[in-house]
Amino acid sequence: MDLVKLQRQLVDYKASLYHECVLDEQFTQLQQLQDENNPDFVVEVVSLFFEDSERLLNELTKALEQQSIDFKRVDAHVHQLKGSSSSIGAQRVQKSCIAFRNYCEEQNVEGCLACLQQVRLEYSLVKTKLEYMFQLEQQILSSGGSIPI
Amino acid sequence: MAETSPPTSCGSSPVVASPMGTPLRKVLNRISGLASSCRSKKGPRGRCRGIFHRDVEQEEFQYASAHCLSSYYSVFVARLAIMAMLAILIALLTVLTWHFTKMYTTKSLKTLAFGLRYELLQRPILRMWGILNSTSEITTAQVKLSEYVIRRYSKPTTQAEQVELYQMMKDMTWALFASRKALNAITISYKNGFVQAFHRDHKNNNTFYIYSDLANYSISGNESPGNKMMSMRQGWDDQFIQGNVSAIWYREPLDPISGEKTGKALPIPPDDVINIAGPSQVPDGVASWHVAVSKYTDSPLLSAALPVWDSSNRSIVAVVGVTTALFSVGQLMKELVEVHSGYIYLTSQEGYLLATSTNAPLLKNTTNGTKLMMAVDSEDRVIRMGAQWLQKAYGNKFPPGDVVHVEKANLGGQHYYIDSFFLNLKRLPMVSILVIGCVCILILTNGVSKEMKLRAELISHLNARRRAEASSNYKSQFLANMSHELRTPMAAVIGLLDILICDDHLTNEQYAMVTQIRKCSTALLRLLNNILDLSKVESGKLVFEEAEFNLGRELEGLVDMFSVQCINHNVETVLDLSDDIPKLVRGDSARVVQVFANLISNSIKFTTSGHIILRGWCENPIVCSDSGKFSPDQKKPLSALKTKLKHHGNHMKKASKRDKKIVLWFEVDDTGSGIDPSKWESVFESFEQADPSTTRTHGGTGLGLCIVRTLVNKMGGEIKVVKKNGPGTLIRLFLLLTTPADGTEHHGLMDFAKHSVAVILALHGSMGRLIMSKWLSRNGVPALEASEWNELTQILHELFHPRTRNCCFDDHYSRGEPLRSMIHSLQDMRNPVYIVLVDLGLLDLSTDIWKEQLNFLDKFSGRVKFAWMLNHDTSNAVKIELRRKGHVLMVNRPLYKAKMLHILEAVIKERHAEIHKRSPNGNKGGSHECLEIDSTHFETCSSDDSEISEKGGALHAGEQPREGTVKSNTANCHTPKNCLVELTRLGSEVNILRADEDECNAWPKLHDTEDAKCENSNSPEQHHVSSCTKDGDNSYTSKAASGEKSLEGLRILLAEDTPVLQRVATIMLEKMGATVIAVGDGLQAVDALNCELVGKEYRRDRMQTDICDFPPYDLILMDCQMPKMDGYEATKAIRKSEAGMGWHIPIVALTAHAMSSDEAKCLEVGMDAYLTKPIDYKFMVSTILSLTKRSA
Repeated sequence: MDLVKLQRQLVDYKASLYHECVLDEQFTQLQQLQDENNPDFVVEVVSLFFEDSERLLNELTKALEQQSIDFKRVDAHVHQLKGSSSSIGAQRVQKSCIAFRNYCEEQNVEGCLACLQQVRLEYSLVKTKLEYMFQLEQQILSSGGSIPI
Repeated sequence: MAETSPPTSCGSSPVVASPMGTPLRKVLNRISGLASSCRSKKGPRGRCRGIFHRDVEQEEFQYASAHCLSSYYSVFVARLAIMAMLAILIALLTVLTWHFTKMYTTKSLKTLAFGLRYELLQRPILRMWGILNSTSEITTAQVKLSEYVIRRYSKPTTQAEQVELYQMMKDMTWALFASRKALNAITISYKNGFVQAFHRDHKNNNTFYIYSDLANYSISGNESPGNKMMSMRQGWDDQFIQGNVSAIWYREPLDPISGEKTGKALPIPPDDVINIAGPSQVPDGVASWHVAVSKYTDSPLLSAALPVWDSSNRSIVAVVGVTTALFSVGQLMKELVEVHSGYIYLTSQEGYLLATSTNAPLLKNTTNGTKLMMAVDSEDRVIRMGAQWLQKAYGNKFPPGDVVHVEKANLGGQHYYIDSFFLNLKRLPMVSILVIGCVCILILTNGVSKEMKLRAELISHLNARRRAEASSNYKSQFLANMSHELRTPMAAVIGLLDILICDDHLTNEQYAMVTQIRKCSTALLRLLNNILDLSKVESGKLVFEEAEFNLGRELEGLVDMFSVQCINHNVETVLDLSDDIPKLVRGDSARVVQVFANLISNSIKFTTSGHIILRGWCENPIVCSDSGKFSPDQKKPLSALKTKLKHHGNHMKKASKRDKKIVLWFEVDDTGSGIDPSKWESVFESFEQADPSTTRTHGGTGLGLCIVRTLVNKMGGEIKVVKKNGPGTLIRLFLLLTTPADGTEHHGLMDFAKHSVAVILALHGSMGRLIMSKWLSRNGVPALEASEWNELTQILHELFHPRTRNCCFDDHYSRGEPLRSMIHSLQDMRNPVYIVLVDLGLLDLSTDIWKEQLNFLDKFSGRVKFAWMLNHDTSNAVKIELRRKGHVLMVNRPLYKAKMLHILEAVIKERHAEIHKRSPNGNKGGSHECLEIDSTHFETCSSDDSEISEKGGALHAGEQPREGTVKSNTANCHTPKNCLVELTRLGSEVNILRADEDECNAWPKLHDTEDAKCENSNSPEQHHVSSCTKDGDNSYTSKAASGEKSLEGLRILLAEDTPVLQRVATIMLEKMGATVIAVGDGLQAVDALNCELVGKEYRRDRMQTDICDFPPYDLILMDCQMPKMDGYEATKAIRKSEAGMGWHIPIVALTAHAMSSDEAKCLEVGMDAYLTKPIDYKFMVSTILSLTKRSA
């Protein structure tokens, strides 16, 4: 019965993620791509995303700390971040990236910094949420259940 | 020189420079330069640049960009100008509209008010005119009579004759005087100084006769007629004055009516009482008018004087004066002012007051006697001020037209309207008399007079109405917007409740409560949906879509859905559509279905037993007269009504013929509680229910029928409740729908007659059976009816064991005779095929008897074809048993034309197959049939669905993914191969969804039906719980992925720098069976390609199998933004390198820019297609397939 509860919790949790727009259907597609050939595909991609995003965020922080900001560079980074976040369905990160790029185009340093903050926030949010989700899945798997779809 | 430099202006093509062409080109340049400068007010930069280029002779390329730039500018400016013009136009329109709505009303109101005031002023003036007229008439009459009398006694010789003349004159004057009560006085003064006068004192109602002493006057005038006019008058005047002074005047009171003397004549001082018109008042021998005063009246007098000529018309013998009081004009003014507030007064041209609406005195007493008062000196404050104001404003010169109209004149701190009219009393109908009496009437109306009040009220009413309309509109819009917001949480609540209900841990009480909550929530949601619909219609947001749809199928689906509820209620649902209804119509299918869904659900609510029939027919006189499909008891009222409706219908038809529209009539007929005739109209109002008490038992909001009517009206139709024989309600409506050009022709019904088919309908529901058998007979299929098991067995016996015909047991049935004749005629048929449609309800399912009954029927299975009608809840055991016995023809309740057709066609086809192949293999035929009537599975599904929705559960999980797949299916249908893939996927999906059913699944068929279902799935519960949606989607695509590797064998180069995306795309493609080589940037991609090209062995490999060169990759997926070399550059490089190779590798761009300009850029550099990130799985596959297929 504990397992059932866990499973329901996972379903609800996922639903809430979609509902809060943390994730979108791209993530669903990602999950569908996971099968016996790639059993840990989602985790793999998501951790790739984490690594990539952290790298990009650091780069962005550095780039924005410079005296003369290379907005092209910043824009490229944000574009990458936007691309990767959209491919895992981290909708909110993606959306804040869009705002970020607008500021980049305007060469608005303050706007960029604020957006970086925002992106960082959204990123950490999606990270915690996803990590919690994986944790739940792990729990279910370890107690012998299957992950409800 | 100019000819060597490229032309810089836009538009001029670089013509070959010829000596002759040069000046022409210069001119062209000038003109186009001018044009561009004109066009671009804002573009001096572009122009400057253009000039600059001309001077410096830039390269072609730069020229092009400048050209581009300037043309951009000009286009931009042109757009700007157009937009500005549009804005101005719109503003102008708005102002005009405002003007017309506001100014026009104000103006018309003003005109109205002005007209009213004018009308008011006209009345005292008319009265004045009337008085003048009557005075002049009297005067003229008096003069004529006097002339006549005096001429008779032209030469009075004796005193007696003289007295007789005067007596005659007195009598005559009295007659005139008595006839006109309004007259103040009539006077006659003779040449010799004698005076006669009648005077009426209006104040104390006394009448007097006044005359002078006769004694002092000579009897005859001493002037000869030959005297000159002037001298004559001179002498006469002198004499007159003399006489006046010396004469003694007498006054004697008279009876006002009879004219009899009532008192003694008393001497009075001359000229004291009244004005006697003397010769001085007719100085030119013509009539004169003047306003006089008298001390005995407080109103001015209007007096006219006219001379009396002698017979030779040369000398004046007397002067007649008529005096009228202007009293009545003032009276009228007072009356007017009583009704309408304000002040009116009448003055003479000189400014003397003649009449006012007030009680202020018009005369003043001065030392010289009573005088007329000037308006400016009036005791009444308002009149005084008004007159002063007018004098100040205009002096003595009145504006042309003599009409003064002033709004808001400030008189003593108050605002007044002043209107002044000037009446020129020039032409009185007197012979050769020109009267120049000018009267000026002034009206002063108070600022808040009655009409002003009315006007203000009217305006405020208008405003209030506008406000009310606006607020009602706001309300509707608000609801339309809010309902959506309200529905979302409601959907969530219901979804969560569903989850809760699924929980096993609930106690019974909790379960009951949760169920109750869910019921309430559903009801609330339904209400919200209704309100949304209604407000959508009201706020004008509801737009009907125009799409072709299969009306019959929609309605069949609807009836299928409702029949489930009806079965629960022990009510029969029957669909009776006439054959002439076009198969395809254009319109909003969802709304049409909604109309019938509301009507039927309403009927179901109030019908506990009996039937609900949905009839439909096409507007067509022939069909109208053919009421064969209606049951006899309804025939009469229907035809009567039809003639009435036909009248209306004909009218519609005229219009409809033009638009290729058809009028479709429908009836929803139930045997429910019925509606009181007095409520027939009001049930269509919102929140109106025929019987308010029913809300408790039946629920509902009373919005359903209102929505129906609104929708029907919007579709150009009408709906009403019509009279019905027997219990229940009959609602009739017609809709105006368009048919596609070829849709009007009737779908080819199979000619069943030549197949010699006969049908035995063994069905429970009498109405459905009746309608079906009638339809069958009309189509040449003889039909027998049986309502219960014994009847069926009897018919079968009769048919196949004629020898038992005389057995006692058919005597039990009253229908024996007609039945037998039917059977006889059937037996006459050559080699007939009997189809027995058996309602499963005829079998005794409660015990095991049904198995024996089946065995009994089996005996006939060689000679008849059995088709079964199942209930939606028929148990699987029964189905399996039937199937085992070889009964494969099964349909679900209710039976309607399409299902019957399926059965008939299936049987006929099977028979044909049997005849053709002579194969006794029933199994094969069976499976064939199974396919043929596969739509029956759909019916099963649909009723199952409704059942599920009834129970309130997994519908959301079932509904959503199906919708999704069908949508995606239609979207991807452009490649047949892909479509097939989709279909199979769909099939597998449905297969799993319906795993618990033992039906055999034929996917293509199912797809059709599913499609149809999705179209009509307008069930109010379309909300989706997101988790369910996702799950559904999930199951679908994972299955789809495992379904087929459609990209099998493709080699795909993926250039993508973002690791996440790279990974995702790789997996996606690999799942589809493609081989993916992933690289991190554009440079690597180009390298990878070149690397493969030089790799000889690979190439040789490929060369062995194929003659022509093959590209190393079947497709390249290229990210656009990459470090080192971006996608555009890489594509250019690749296209360049493959120029000599003779192939074309499809390159698909991957970009996060979702703008069409990017797409243009992609295609420009040589890419073939374009995918936006995040990658849509299905779309990617279809794109890749379409590209590789083309190149392969």
